Amino acid sequence: MLDPYIPLVLMFALALGFAVFSVAIAPLVGPRRYNKAKFDAYECGIEPSPQPTVGGGRMPVAYYLTAMLFILFDIEMVFLYPYAVSADSLGMFGVAAVVLFIATFGFADLYVWYRGGFEWN
Amino acid sequence: MGVTTQTGAVILAQQSIAPPPIHYSAIAPVLIVLGAACLAVLVEAFVPRRLRWSVQVGLSLCTLVAAGAWLVVYARGEPMGLTTLADTLAIDTPTLFLWGTLLVLGLASILLIADRSVEPGGAFVAESSAAPSPSPRAASGGSTGGTATSIAPAPTPAPARATASVAEMRTEVFPLGLFSLGGMMVFCAANDLLTMFIALEALSLPLYVMCGLARRRRLLSQEAAVKYFLLGAFASAFFLYGLALLYGYAGSVELSAIADATAGSLRSDTLLFAGLGLLVVGLLFKGSVGPFHMWTPDVYHGAPTAVTGFMAACTKVAAFGAILRVLHVAFEASSWEWHWVLWTVAVVSMVIGAVLGLTQSDIKRMVAYSSIAHAGFLLIGAITLTDEGLSATLFYLLAYGVTTIAVFGVISLVRTSEGEATHLSAWSGLAKRSPLIAWVFTFLLLALAGIPLTSGFMGKFVVFSAALTAGMAPLVVIALVASAVAAFFYLRVIVLMHFNEPAPDGPTVSVPGAFTTAAITLGVVVTLLLGVLPTPVLDWASVGGFVS
Amino acid sequence: MLSLIVFLPLVAAAVLAAVPASVGRRVFAVSWVVVAAADLALVVAAWIGYDPSGGMAYEQQLPWIPTAGVSYHVGIDGLSLPLVAVTAGLFLACAIYSLRQTHRVKSFVLLFLGLQTVSQGLFTALDLILFFVYFDLSIVGMYFVIARWGHGSAKRSALTFFLYTFIGSLALLLGFIGLSLAAQPHTFDIVALARAAPLAGSGAYGALVLLAIGIGLAIKTPTVPFHTWLPPAHTDAPAAGSAILAGVLLKMGTYGFVRIAMPLLPETWRQYASVVVVVGVLSVLYGALVALAQEDFKRMIAYTSVNHMGYIILAVGAAGILAGSDEQARSLAVTGAVTQMVSHGLLTGALFLLAGILYDRRDSYDMSAYSGLAGPAPVFAGVTGLVAFASLGLPGFSGFIAEFQIFTGSLASATVATALALLGILITAGLLLRALHRVFLGSLRIPDAPGAARDFTDLRPSEAASILPLLAMAIAIGVLPRFLLDVIEPAATALIGMVGR
Repeated sequence: MLDPYIPLVLMFALALGFAVFSVAIAPLVGPRRYNKAKFDAYECGIEPSPQPTVGGGRMPVAYYLTAMLFILFDIEMVFLYPYAVSADSLGMFGVAAVVLFIATFGFADLYVWYRGGFEWN
Repeated sequence: MGVTTQTGAVILAQQSIAPPPIHYSAIAPVLIVLGAACLAVLVEAFVPRRLRWSVQVGLSLCTLVAAGAWLVVYARGEPMGLTTLADTLAIDTPTLFLWGTLLVLGLASILLIADRSVEPGGAFVAESSAAPSPSPRAASGGSTGGTATSIAPAPTPAPARATASVAEMRTEVFPLGLFSLGGMMVFCAANDLLTMFIALEALSLPLYVMCGLARRRRLLSQEAAVKYFLLGAFASAFFLYGLALLYGYAGSVELSAIADATAGSLRSDTLLFAGLGLLVVGLLFKGSVGPFHMWTPDVYHGAPTAVTGFMAACTKVAAFGAILRVLHVAFEASSWEWHWVLWTVAVVSMVIGAVLGLTQSDIKRMVAYSSIAHAGFLLIGAITLTDEGLSATLFYLLAYGVTTIAVFGVISLVRTSEGEATHLSAWSGLAKRSPLIAWVFTFLLLALAGIPLTSGFMGKFVVFSAALTAGMAPLVVIALVASAVAAFFYLRVIVLMHFNEPAPDGPTVSVPGAFTTAAITLGVVVTLLLGVLPTPVLDWASVGGFVS
Repeated sequence: MLSLIVFLPLVAAAVLAAVPASVGRRVFAVSWVVVAAADLALVVAAWIGYDPSGGMAYEQQLPWIPTAGVSYHVGIDGLSLPLVAVTAGLFLACAIYSLRQTHRVKSFVLLFLGLQTVSQGLFTALDLILFFVYFDLSIVGMYFVIARWGHGSAKRSALTFFLYTFIGSLALLLGFIGLSLAAQPHTFDIVALARAAPLAGSGAYGALVLLAIGIGLAIKTPTVPFHTWLPPAHTDAPAAGSAILAGVLLKMGTYGFVRIAMPLLPETWRQYASVVVVVGVLSVLYGALVALAQEDFKRMIAYTSVNHMGYIILAVGAAGILAGSDEQARSLAVTGAVTQMVSHGLLTGALFLLAGILYDRRDSYDMSAYSGLAGPAPVFAGVTGLVAFASLGLPGFSGFIAEFQIFTGSLASATVATALALLGILITAGLLLRALHRVFLGSLRIPDAPGAARDFTDLRPSEAASILPLLAMAIAIGVLPRFLLDVIEPAATALIGMVGR
């Protein structure tokens, strides 16, 4: 009964082993060269501003706004895509529902838009 | 909201073409509230700033009255209980009663929230600069460290305006409140766990934001919001995990299907009880039942008082509505296995509420602990699993909610120049400064203590009778002792107000505006009426059980 | 009729509440006297129209919470009518006594009018929940009286009083619910429950219900060991408050025994009657002995209350012991118990008002501080002496009638206990005489109080008008008891019939 799970367990074991191995091996075989970038939170990407004192700094609030908007549009897509695939079988009820869904979503967009949420500096 | 889940449900059923039947007249109150909430978002976007407050208040009040009127008309037709929207919502007598309760409490809360005369400009954060998008520079503005200042930047100075010297409050709180209320209405009508979870989020998310909107004491308010959010998210995760386990157990998220599965099956009890436990933890958290109450004092303390009233009353109603439905519909058959756990929880809640309430020196925190004790009493009614217990709990919810909102209404009136004076010492000698307010508050506290001729007594009486009938005498004895202990700290406030000398630099009692007056009057009148003539309400609460 | 008696004071209070306090205290004080007198007149009319052999009279029943089996059911019989009358009389006495009250007269009057409604309501209630509602409200009302108008550590005493009796009331509620749940269909109606006696033969369940009800009533009565709230509450309460507390509120407990505990739980009552007798005797002896040790005049009276309530408990307990006694003796014991409630209401009410005069003159209850008061205040001394004699059970006063019946009725069934309780009478006699001796005889010595007159002022007219009628009633009952006993005896016999089922 448990047979189908055995590959899964093996997969987990492999992943775990790899992760542990990588972390363990890096300081042993890697070169040791330190510079300023090494101590940053992200070696690539955006500097947290201002520079972190002890315990880390803050991310600009605008990033969160962008992220939220991205998620919202994402979710709209998540729902619209499957609807589009099966639009035929759902008939007018489906159309009405999806229109209502988009309208509801649109209200939020309008709110953000009119209150200046899309004005990036 | 309903429509979104609707779409999801239809998509899952790929091949089915026929849309599920929808009883629009039954779910109209929810549709009205949620529709108005969407409309209120548009109002925020398009109505000029100086008109927003009046439009929002008018819209919210009209919405609640319209939804209530529809509900009354619908309920007078003595409808059969039914499930609609592909069995995701059950509209039965308890649902209608809970909706009525929520709408009444919502109305009172909106009245409190709308008041602008007690705190000039309203109790909520002022409109800041034109655009809500803070530039990175402004947000990080120069503070050199301390987490405190980074969480709570000083309120942005009000934009200079010719007409008013005090900045108007943000009016987003109205659509947020309506969304939350809509979520609560769905929450206590939800007939499957997934709908219940979505409703849980729909009611919680706006609340998190509303908690952080206080104009005064920004730091406390935002701390409250963050705490509530983090712990709330944690509780949601519990709920979701429980949901998943129960799905694993029953193969369905519908309450009736779970009930069928529990009635004599050979499936794994581990899944059932682990799932039930996690699910109930999530629900008890929302109902602020000890020992899942940790957030309650801090959040009640930090949130703007009107929002605290809304949370204390409406959230409790919604949470216990859901607890009642889950226990009655899905887990009645397995009650022998779990009831002792909830016995323990009820006892813990009552003891924590009553004992820790004694040590509080802040009136809002004290009421928070009293709400934990009351949650214990409510839980007693909820776990009787009898029709009597059901109607008793429903009655208690209404009685408690109305009294609590009025309590917070009064609390918002007692102020110093720095805002509300919630420290108990500030309340001493209040009766000398403002006898009327002191007597109103005394009456409300006596109602919370459960003195006869108030709704509090009737509520306790029906709940304890139901519990005794169900053979829970030890629990009732503990509850009686807990109410006696709790009476002590209500009495302490009464002593403070009536028999102590007022502090020389004590607070003043603001003359309440029309809205607050209306809310408090509503609370006092209903508290008295339910105490003297409870029969009509009791009758309505006891005409039927859940359908599923 | 009864509803009118009950709610007249409340309506008057509502009307007075609308009158601004600025019209002067006389308006409130005088209208209180008028209302109390009108209420007493109504009670007298009810008494005249009452037919002792007819059981419940003036019954009225309206649905209140039908789903829970609760109704507004009132009526009086021989057990409650005397208490209703005492209540009306005592409140009138307090109204007259308080004519000189100056501190916050409006709220004082409103509160007492409310308390009168509550007390009359309790004695007429024939529904357990109605009874409970009045029972609890009396606690709230008295709490405010003590805390606001009391002296000394009034707030603390009031809080003790509230919490203690509130816990008692919750136990009572538990018992009531337990009682009603046993009846089919569930009801809280006292008459219906008495007819059905639902807990007959239910063993432990009945015992638990009786325990809950018993504790609730015992705290209010109070009996040893639940009496500790009483002395501080009495000591710190204002005189009128003490009089009502002792004269009326304590009766609520004992009345509960004869109205609820005995007829509704007859079998269980018989089973545990001996326990009740023991508690009664303990209260008698303990109350008397502790009263003997008091230096504080008011505290001493408070402990004699414990002692007097003990006789009542002894009697109702003895009435439950069937062995060795005939029905007549048991009926006599119950009659004595009710008579004792009446007598104690009148006499202790009067004593507390007299103690109030002591405090009014010199801000002290300390007996060792006073001496020889009979010189400057002969009337005060004489009245106090008479009331004290009446209280200790001298023939010719109501106390004698009551205690004589109690002892005669109880002797057969609880011989040892009754003999022990007789000791209580001796001790009370001793302590009251000693107190009289210390305060009124000997050389004149009055404690100093700032702003007080140099002489000890004798009874003022309003004080005399409030206290003398109470004393007169006690003498009337002592000399011509039939008018009272004719009312009580049929009801007592009926009660014994129920207990004997």
